Amino acid sequence: MFKPTNALFSGLLWKTPWRLSSPQKARQRKRLRAVDRVVDTLSAALERNGHTTKAVNRWFAEMPREEEMLPKDKYTLFDKKEKTYRKSIHKLPKWTRVSQRVNPPGF
Amino acid sequence: MSFTYFRITLLRSAIGLPRRSTDVLKALGLKKRMATVFHPVSPSVAGQIMRVKELVSVQEVEQALTKQQVHLERKPDPGYYVEKSCVEERGEMLGQ
Repeated sequence: MFKPTNALFSGLLWKTPWRLSSPQKARQRKRLRAVDRVVDTLSAALERNGHTTKAVNRWFAEMPREEEMLPKDKYTLFDKKEKTYRKSIHKLPKWTRVSQRVNPPGF
Repeated sequence: MSFTYFRITLLRSAIGLPRRSTDVLKALGLKKRMATVFHPVSPSVAGQIMRVKELVSVQEVEQALTKQQVHLERKPDPGYYVEKSCVEERGEMLGQ
């Protein structure tokens, strides 16, 4: 039976949900923790061998850990075109493989 | 002084990511997903891992394993063991 929907009427219509589902959020937290774990391993290994690396030091200086982050920063990011200045993080291209942790102060 | 190794496993592919990410993976010797490589702990390797930290899992280990050893870690127990090869058995029979 034909059901007239926007997706069937027009040729190409991708419907991306407006918000993240709770399993998506859970996986996002898991990925954030995995990145934290990698950086911790690097820093511990370098320290044991008596080295330091600028990239690791900079990460610790600038980036919050998963447990320090606000839910707002975990699941949304700044967007000047939105009315609330925030859009859901899954609108970010390749969002499961990039680190997007900090947003402009005050937004 | 003994030095340790990073055991790096590629979990996520760099398809669609900037060219630099792909190049770093290539430099580390990671060609496909679930590939494992060992590199001595050094600032330059750590910097390379930092570029692709979202794609890999990293452990610090005492020994670098060869490709065969990594493969054998994953190999399941066959459930039997070979008591004697047919060559040995034939040798015994002929020796009688």
